[in-house]
Amino acid sequence: MSTLEIAAPAHAQVLAAHDFHSGATPIWCPGCGDYGVLSALEHALAAHGRPPHEVVLVSGIGCSSRLPAYTSCYGFHGVHGRALPFAAGVKLARPDLEVIAVGGDGDGFSIGGNHFIHACRRNLDMLYLVMDNRVYGMTKGQPSPTTEPDWDSDIAPGGLGLRPFEPVALALAAGATFIARGFAGRSHELSDLILAGIKWPGFAFVQVLSPCMAFRSEQFGWKDSVRATSHAIEDDRAAAHAAAIADDGYSLGVLFRDHRASIPARPAAKASLTQIETQFMVCR
Amino acid sequence: MSAGELLLRAAADAGYYGMMSKLFGAQVRGGEAAALVQISTEPVSCQPDRFDLFVALDWDKVDQFASEIPLDENTIIIADPQSGPTPPSIAKSKARTIPVSMSPGHATPLECALQGKHTNVFAAGAVGALVGLPVSGLQAALVTVLGGKSVEATRTNAAALEAGIAAAAGLDLDMHLSPAHPAPRWLMTGNQAIAVGSLRGGVRFVGCYPITPATDLVEWLAPQIQKLGGRLVMAEDELSSINMVLGASYGGVPAMTVTSGPGLSLMVETIGLAIAAEVPAVIIDVMRGGPSTGIPSKTEQSDINIAVYGCHGDAPHVVLAPTSVRDCMFTGEWAVYLAESLQTPVIVLSDQALGLAYAVIDPKLDRPQPLARRTDLSVGPFKRYAVGTDPVTAMPRPGTPGGQWVGEGLTHNETGIPVGGASVHLAQIDKRARKIAQFDPGPHWGSVWGEGETAILTFGSSIGPAQEAARRLAAAGQPSRVIGLRVLMHSTAPAASW
Ligand SMILES: Cc1ncc(C[n+]2csc(CCOP(=O)(O)OP(=O)(O)O)c2C)c(N)n1
Ligand code: SF4
Repeated sequence: MSTLEIAAPAHAQVLAAHDFHSGATPIWCPGCGDYGVLSALEHALAAHGRPPHEVVLVSGIGCSSRLPAYTSCYGFHGVHGRALPFAAGVKLARPDLEVIAVGGDGDGFSIGGNHFIHACRRNLDMLYLVMDNRVYGMTKGQPSPTTEPDWDSDIAPGGLGLRPFEPVALALAAGATFIARGFAGRSHELSDLILAGIKWPGFAFVQVLSPCMAFRSEQFGWKDSVRATSHAIEDDRAAAHAAAIADDGYSLGVLFRDHRASIPARPAAKASLTQIETQFMVCR
Repeated sequence: MSAGELLLRAAADAGYYGMMSKLFGAQVRGGEAAALVQISTEPVSCQPDRFDLFVALDWDKVDQFASEIPLDENTIIIADPQSGPTPPSIAKSKARTIPVSMSPGHATPLECALQGKHTNVFAAGAVGALVGLPVSGLQAALVTVLGGKSVEATRTNAAALEAGIAAAAGLDLDMHLSPAHPAPRWLMTGNQAIAVGSLRGGVRFVGCYPITPATDLVEWLAPQIQKLGGRLVMAEDELSSINMVLGASYGGVPAMTVTSGPGLSLMVETIGLAIAAEVPAVIIDVMRGGPSTGIPSKTEQSDINIAVYGCHGDAPHVVLAPTSVRDCMFTGEWAVYLAESLQTPVIVLSDQALGLAYAVIDPKLDRPQPLARRTDLSVGPFKRYAVGTDPVTAMPRPGTPGGQWVGEGLTHNETGIPVGGASVHLAQIDKRARKIAQFDPGPHWGSVWGEGETAILTFGSSIGPAQEAARRLAAAGQPSRVIGLRVLMHSTAPAASW
């Protein structure tokens, strides 16, 4: 089948960030953190050197999930919460492509939470970028799984009263092999983290603190809370867990790396369909 | 079940047609079960409404099956006297019971439990001999059914088969079959037949989640698709499996998922996405009894409404149903071609009765014309969702320079950029509707059998019983025809082809 032939990886090309720009105007509010994420991603892709037609960006639904159309790559804007399975399908069918899933905290940790766990465990070679603004932006301001318990909103007056969960700890528990945290306001550092994630030969999860200016303008203050992590923890998942639990959620950088291999490559064809069909023959 | 398969296989090798259906009790593994086997000189397309022979390996929990195994006063029942008297639920049929001891007399109950009594193989041997199947054929079928069992197990089973054959000689019964018309045939289940069809159509990616009665389809498919260089992935749920399928298909590989009613419900939102974003996908639904977990081991045409009308708004797509076990191959293959060429999801409604029926079929190659996906890049700026004379627009595979497009479930313009507004929405809805309106199934819309003023309009596993009803009506001087549909959603089949 010609559709299964795997193209030889293209040689790295000299590319600039604007080569990854589609020219479509984002619908994002002025000051939205997602602009910084888009810019960091374009820079990382340019530095990586694979041309836009070899990259597939997959997203779910939300403000952040609008990102694929703003790039010049192949892309897919699917349904709410299902970016990771779609991206897995692309990667499993076409291991030659660079596959990146993007979305919000609602998309990835609430409606898509189960897929997040299993994507960590499956460890396919792809990047997952979550623009975490601790709110549902697109539906105009409801609390998400990462929202603080006392954050007041129309749907939950006085706050949800629920403990937010820590995506890094969840990713660790689910077996993720590359975990990093970036901040949309530090685009250069974020770009480096994204590039490291793209190059990682397994599932790379990058949580990006990406402020929502419309519904959580207090997140403007995140620039004063964030700081670089002291070091990445290698392979010691228990130590990484302890660090994640002790952390206040504002340390940035590569937090954990586990050098577990991704799933084996698909074996080459070794039989024809006609051969397979002989098992049904009777009364020859 | 092994005994049923052994008999059917031996009969098939001797040149008979046949079919086996299965009845299961509630126990997860093992437990009570019944194999319903028919052997015929003609192709078999449905379960019978009476059986000539009923073999009871034991009477345990037989009551639950009694209403599903039609017996009458001409039926012969063979039962081990050690199992006790024929229960009232069976005896009320007035069938004649003939006692046959099926367990080796010298074995203690403990030995029987440890070594296995092989009463099933004994019974298969007895029945096979009674109906006149050749001993060599029964022995060969036993070897196939046992697979790679240990030497000791093979020896004891073969002994049980011999004993069964010998026991038949002592019975004063003549149940010999009419002579067979041997010819090369295939023995397969409807589930396997759909899987074969999909592989012929080019499916090389399957994303799935186990659900009765679809599970054995993917269990058969998993090693086979791997031999062909493809991949089957067990996803975390059906929301994931259908989205994986769309991802693989977007990547350029024909892709399929396999499920049953509850799984189809979970997939509906993404099937709508595949329609809007125009991504090919094959969804095999082996229907079972609903609602909810319902009755997974029984058949029902329970999902036709969801399959045809389940998506939101105007959602043109293709819904097909195989017309027989044999046709599962044709319909499975055709589904892939339609999905690829129309860039839309195709739902195939099989069901438990077709899927698990184990049938002897005529393997004559009967294949639809291959159709492929349009991936060509036109000159000038590429518009994935261009509204032009041909509603099917090119869908370049990722990796193609200059073909970049973003698949979009939101209402989008010709380039694929989300936009609001009625006119764009209408233009795209119209584009998608025209794909289906232009689709002409030609002679593949379905089939007509028989003649007459009265017609029975039906689909799927109901076609077989309808054909049998029409045959009996015709014999009673009331000629009737059966119209079996393969295409279930609105289609443009010209009336002239009827
Ligand atoms: C099945 C389904 N349920 C609900 C919605 C409505 N919805 C759209 S976006 C969204 C939440 C988005 O939040 P998040 O993922 O955090 O992204 P953000 O907009 O904050 O970037 C919801 C609930 C939907 N589109 N689909
Ligand atoms: S609502 Fe918030 S997340 Fe959405 S675009 Fe506006 S600022 Fe960004």
